[in-house]
Amino acid sequence: MFEKLLRIINLKTYYFSRKNVIKAVDNVSLDIFRGEIVGLVGESGSGKSTLGLSIVKLLPPPGKIVGGEIILDGENILKKTDRELRKIRGRKIGMIFQDPLTCLDPLRRIGDQIIETITVHLKIDKEHAREMAIKSLERVGIPPDRIDDYPHQLSGGMRQRAMIAMATVLNPDLLIADEPTTALDVIVQSRIMDLLEDLRNERNISILLITHDIALVIERSNRVVVMYAGKICEVRGAERIAVEPLHPYTKLLIQSIPDIEKTEIELKPIPGSPPDMRNPPQGCRFWPRCPHAMEKCKIEEPQLLSLGEGAVACHLYGG
Amino acid sequence: MTSLKVFIIARAIALIPTILILVTLVFFIMRVLPGDPVIAIVGMKAPMERVVELKKELGLIDENGNEIPLIVQYVNYLMKLVQGDLGRSLIWGKRPVVVEIMEHLPATIELAIAGFLVSLLIGMTLGTIGAGIGGKVNSAVRVYSAVAYALFIPWIGMMLQLVFSVGLKIFPVGGRIGVGLEPPTYTGLYILDSLISGKIDSFISSLKHITLPAVTLGLVISGVFSRVTRVSVEEILKQDFVVAARARGLPEYRIMLHVLKNSFIPILTMMGLQLALLMTGAVLTETTFSWPGMGTFLLERIQYRDYTTVQGTVIFFAIIVSVMNLIVDVCYAYIDPRIRY
Amino acid sequence: MYTFRPILRRMVLKMPLTTIGIVGLSMILFVVFMAVFADFLAPYDPTKSVGLSLQPPSPEHLFGTNKIGQDMWSRTVYGARTMLIVVALSTILSMIIGVPLGLISGYVGGLLDRISTTIMDSIYAFPSLILAIAIAAALGPGIINTAISIAVVYIPTYFRMVRAQTLNVKNQLYVEAAVAIGAKPSSILSRYIFPNVISVVTAVFTLSVADIVLTEAALSFFGLSVPAPTPDWGFDLRAGQPYLVSGYWWLVTFPGLMIIMLAVGFTFLGESVSEYLGLREVGI
Repeated sequence: MFEKLLRIINLKTYYFSRKNVIKAVDNVSLDIFRGEIVGLVGESGSGKSTLGLSIVKLLPPPGKIVGGEIILDGENILKKTDRELRKIRGRKIGMIFQDPLTCLDPLRRIGDQIIETITVHLKIDKEHAREMAIKSLERVGIPPDRIDDYPHQLSGGMRQRAMIAMATVLNPDLLIADEPTTALDVIVQSRIMDLLEDLRNERNISILLITHDIALVIERSNRVVVMYAGKICEVRGAERIAVEPLHPYTKLLIQSIPDIEKTEIELKPIPGSPPDMRNPPQGCRFWPRCPHAMEKCKIEEPQLLSLGEGAVACHLYGG
Repeated sequence: MTSLKVFIIARAIALIPTILILVTLVFFIMRVLPGDPVIAIVGMKAPMERVVELKKELGLIDENGNEIPLIVQYVNYLMKLVQGDLGRSLIWGKRPVVVEIMEHLPATIELAIAGFLVSLLIGMTLGTIGAGIGGKVNSAVRVYSAVAYALFIPWIGMMLQLVFSVGLKIFPVGGRIGVGLEPPTYTGLYILDSLISGKIDSFISSLKHITLPAVTLGLVISGVFSRVTRVSVEEILKQDFVVAARARGLPEYRIMLHVLKNSFIPILTMMGLQLALLMTGAVLTETTFSWPGMGTFLLERIQYRDYTTVQGTVIFFAIIVSVMNLIVDVCYAYIDPRIRY
Repeated sequence: MYTFRPILRRMVLKMPLTTIGIVGLSMILFVVFMAVFADFLAPYDPTKSVGLSLQPPSPEHLFGTNKIGQDMWSRTVYGARTMLIVVALSTILSMIIGVPLGLISGYVGGLLDRISTTIMDSIYAFPSLILAIAIAAALGPGIINTAISIAVVYIPTYFRMVRAQTLNVKNQLYVEAAVAIGAKPSSILSRYIFPNVISVVTAVFTLSVADIVLTEAALSFFGLSVPAPTPDWGFDLRAGQPYLVSGYWWLVTFPGLMIIMLAVGFTFLGESVSEYLGLREVGI
């Protein structure tokens, strides 16, 4: 449980446009241990998806990694050639996305897409690959006779299962799941999450679960990482952060979860809106929305400091 | 019955009104318009018997010399058409129009296929390069598409003739094959026939003859294909499944295969729409290069005022284009499983 | 949704032409200039024999002379007039038939719409040049006849786009609301639908003019347009072709270049305008 699988050190991923630079991921460090589920949570635009794509170096065009290291098995991914990267993608790191319909090639049978993934990485014949594909589909609960279906013939939940089968067929060490359940209804959502947890338990896969849903990560992950405006503001164990959030932003996030115990439903949205990333606030990026903002927060940027079992970046705790 | 078969039958039935409308349109244009075609054909001073004879041939009057009402003429024409009879030519031995069309059709098909292949090759290559590289290259491809589309076929053909036939003397100015080199007929396409019969001379000659016309036709139509390829590859490259495929570690060439297959649907649709352009282009190319196909035939018969043949040929064009559109629709349904509902 | 005036203002005053659009517009204006000032630009009567037969370009005859000794430069200049007149006439003809028909068909709907759509779609799917050839052959030569032959072929292009846009606007909530409070069909057509149709008509216009230029050139190349000796580019191209083999290149080069310049000019302008109007996939 304590073996470090992936280390992200001072990662900086920026988007460059003609006029300005958007620091989508700004000096982020994060370790992922083997067999753990890390929940990366934040609003849209917080840089969480960019972080996920940075790990496999698949940023959309104006995006560039300008600094830092990403270490997998002792080797820096960022220094690898395209050819070496392709061997890592799909084999050591699998990825699933929010909308499985748009992420599957609509014109190819799902089985063929899984087989293609296998044969690109392993030197085995087609029949073997097909057996592997069938097994991986069975593993995620898709009957073998659906292997020749086209993506549009499957339901939303089935498609996401097929995506998971495809991403895990080669037994990767790390699975990056970017909003894997957002497009699904609640029941399907929880089944998909059960499936991911089973996979972790059986194969000791690490999962980076990227979502905007704090309740989901608290329920389903071991550790929670909260991102705001390109920076990590808090990292803590899921049970701890639920009862004792430290960063004011985390507190607000947790308060915004609707409580089923209470009869009257009162949603507490976080006041203000996410910062304009072209021109983020000076000092702590959260201060314009923070109920505890001090003069110091407007000037000095808080550092992410270890505190107890986790870490927090806030001047309230000395950062 | 499979869903694909149902689809084909449904589309074939939908073709009938389209063809009927075009036949009607052409029929009435040829009849109602000013001027007496009979006088136009035989001349003012022709003897009365000649005029009566011609009117009978045209189906304007019956055996007793009574005028047949227009609507009855129309129904008669349709009845014959259904049996595959387009009437008889008014000149030179009065042969059936269908027979004459069939003699000229293979030349047009050969040219159209060759031109189409050239345009696909140029268009898809340029379009893929433009979308793949982007930036200045992409803009250049965009300009190419616009210019190529607006090139006037006879002029381009003549410039090629000037350089390659008159100047460099590599390719012949016109015609379909050298004198006396015609291969025995199997398919009617000289290139194929000469290969089947193993006549190397014929093969080389027909290849030399078709090069300039095919390049002329191909260049002009490639504008459309480079545009649609560029736009659709750009679209597909933006889609999530491309990132997802990269995330599975697929090499770029495999990703390009996925992308091309997906962008092929708009390209195929465009092919269907361009069949009409291909026919138009073929007519212009044929007349520029004295290519003995349907276009040359049609214009020659217009000059001789051979109205039954002109009408029959135009109607034949209508039918052939409709049928080709149907074939494209079927291919479309075959490639994309989503449209067979 | 927009009302009439902002659209006009957007289109005419604020139309930002891309580089391509400016190049295209200059090409068109060049040809228009030729046509308008033909009497000053052309030193000779284009229909008369004014020099020796088949002379190469020289200071007296900029573009040389043809078989019967006509001055090719003068014929090229006056050819611009013939071309532009036919293009203008056929565009106006296809618009005044296609646009109202599309509006009514889209607005009224029902059986009328079904019938006219089927007819228009059939014509649209047919190779335009072949239909134009058939009509032109039946009508005989002449400027008006040529314009009619071309117009018939382009009516469906206007019809289809206008009908689609009409349907689109008709189903907007604000139009349904206007119908619900009892607005008359005529006022709905003129106040809500027509203004929205204008941008579509502009796009179809700019995209189809290049086609019309090429169709006119083709008809005249086939000898189905204006009668000789009227100067006409396509006709001169055809007339010069037999002499190509002997190396008389100037007979075909210049008229052909003019056709292409005008067609490319309109294509470039069309590209620019339709991109601006957000209708890139229209037509082509």
